[in-house]
Amino acid sequence: MPRIDLFTAFLKSLSNFRFAAILLIAGVGVLLDPIKAWALQSHGPPEGLYTHQMAHLLFAISMAVLAYWLETNGFTRERGWRLIQLSFLLFFLWNLVAFSGHFVEIRIPPGLIEGQQGDWDQRLQVGYDSFTAAYYFLKMDHLVAVPAILCLFLGIRNLYKQTLMKVARDK
Amino acid sequence: MTGSYSLAPVLFSDVVGSTLMICISFGAVWYASRLRKADPSSVIWTYLMVLTVALAVFSLSRSVGHLVKHLLLFTGNAYIWQCFQPYTGAINSIAFIGVASVTLFFPKVQRINARILNDKMALEKATEDIKLLNHNLEALVEKRTSQLSLSEKKYRGIFEGSMDMIFVLDDQLNFQDINPSGLATLGYDSPSELVGSVSFGEIFFSSSDYEEFVEDLSVSGSIKDRECRIREKSGLEVLILLSVTGTMSEAAKRKSYIGIAKDVTARKRMERQLQQADRLASLGQTAAGVAHELNTPLGIILGYTQLLLRNCEEQNASHGDLQIIEKQAKNCRRIVQDLLKFARGSATQKSYVDLITCFDEVISLLGHQFEKEGITVETQFEQDLPKVFADGEKLKQVLVNLLVNAKQAISGNGTIVVIVKLGPDKHNILISVSDDGCGMSQKTLEKIFDPFFTTKPVGVGTGLGLSVSYGIIQAHGGCLQVESKEGVGTTFTISLPLTDESQKSAEESQTPTLQSECS
Repeated sequence: MPRIDLFTAFLKSLSNFRFAAILLIAGVGVLLDPIKAWALQSHGPPEGLYTHQMAHLLFAISMAVLAYWLETNGFTRERGWRLIQLSFLLFFLWNLVAFSGHFVEIRIPPGLIEGQQGDWDQRLQVGYDSFTAAYYFLKMDHLVAVPAILCLFLGIRNLYKQTLMKVARDK
Repeated sequence: MTGSYSLAPVLFSDVVGSTLMICISFGAVWYASRLRKADPSSVIWTYLMVLTVALAVFSLSRSVGHLVKHLLLFTGNAYIWQCFQPYTGAINSIAFIGVASVTLFFPKVQRINARILNDKMALEKATEDIKLLNHNLEALVEKRTSQLSLSEKKYRGIFEGSMDMIFVLDDQLNFQDINPSGLATLGYDSPSELVGSVSFGEIFFSSSDYEEFVEDLSVSGSIKDRECRIREKSGLEVLILLSVTGTMSEAAKRKSYIGIAKDVTARKRMERQLQQADRLASLGQTAAGVAHELNTPLGIILGYTQLLLRNCEEQNASHGDLQIIEKQAKNCRRIVQDLLKFARGSATQKSYVDLITCFDEVISLLGHQFEKEGITVETQFEQDLPKVFADGEKLKQVLVNLLVNAKQAISGNGTIVVIVKLGPDKHNILISVSDDGCGMSQKTLEKIFDPFFTTKPVGVGTGLGLSVSYGIIQAHGGCLQVESKEGVGTTFTISLPLTDESQKSAEESQTPTLQSECS
């Protein structure tokens, strides 16, 4: 049935007095006794982390898709776009690193880190579990993020220079 | 890998990396903005600009969060960091989503860019095509203009160079344009004298002719080869063969008429002269036959009359009668001889004659008599004329005849002008005798050289004077023509051919020695 017919049917049902009365009573009841209403749901502390992790995943997927897309559409024939593609792949990798870092961070026992938070003499007690050792390296995610943003910078600079040359050639 | 490891490298990499992230990301934004300025038409560069800004926001939010965290913890303000931490995490998440959203838009942007580029190329191609078409159009227009110019020149050349009169009339039959030949035919100097000031009807000699012309033109739309008499600017009559056709002007939406007229005055005159010559030749043959038949009996009558007179006493009553017979017989013989002179010309004794001397004698002889009757004889004799191989006495007779005719045409005072000059081509001598007498009608002119034709009262003239003159001039290989207009006067023109020797003499007469001899 076309949408316009559904809408017409809804309007017709509103004109039915009995149906309109039920709707009115339900609405007034919700306003007078909100405790019984289930529309609002509480969100616990892990939600923020999950959201953040999902954002990392979305970021990673978008980077991977774009890097693939640049490859398949022939952009990577130019050096500038190749550098940008590399940047996207590094950002993809960085997201995986960051995602893993957050995943590991909540699983290591709190007592393994010695010293006050923010002090440069903090130390990490690495035992036989793999999480703690991984955590140490995953915390240094800038080793991937900085090359990623650097590749983007170099790629755009290269495209800029190529464009200047092309404009000069056209003139 | 067991033991206690310092987290200082982690903290160091975090602080340095965060700082570098901010600096490099803003460097990328700067280059992206330069790139966009270098080629503002590219959507890809705009997209890269947006992407770098998104990444810079991401770097800024994350790195500033990290740096602030370290600063607050280092300065012992951990509780403040506890307050900010959720916000920085949330902002980071939003920045990730933002970057991801922008990134996932790239294929769409690229498709739009490709479409724009395709459209741009199509537009450029269309522009090129239009330019080419425009160029071709210009060349085509130039070519057509050149052809039009050539055509205009060609038709203008025909119009200007035509020996016939070509003219254009408007719908009211007023002159719009006329070619030089037409101007010459009508005696005008420039088209401006005619255009806008003279209507076509005004040049017609007869208004009835013009009315008939207009009626026929309106009925049939065109007139072909119609003989019309028109009037020159000076008033002289010109005979033309007229063709006129009407056309509708596309631009002005008005009718106009294009006409061609051929001046046939000279041709018609020649035709008339030929007809007259034929007629006179025929008359001459008849006259010669009659004269020959009459001559013998007249001679016998005259001979016997003279014999009878010799034997008859003067006192005898028959003597007087015989004298009358003798006189009338002599008259008849003179007429017969004149007829013979007209018909086949009498025997001439030709020699090189100085016309001026001959004519001076005649004019001095008749001039006094004419002056008594109030008629002045003017002479315009060209100097250094060559001698003519002719019979001087006969030419004198012709001049006498013409002068007497002229005198008789003038009633009261008048002037007779005798002009003797070399012809324009120097092959003949032209002698004209003009008077300002009563002139002659067309009918009279047609019969003027006929034997016995006279307009004088019976007994005043025999009507043989001009016929005899015509015969004499014909016998000299020349021609005698007449032009006359009633109320204006008459002009007789004799053309006498020059022999080769005379022509040589004419050329030599340019030398001073011969000039003095002639004079």
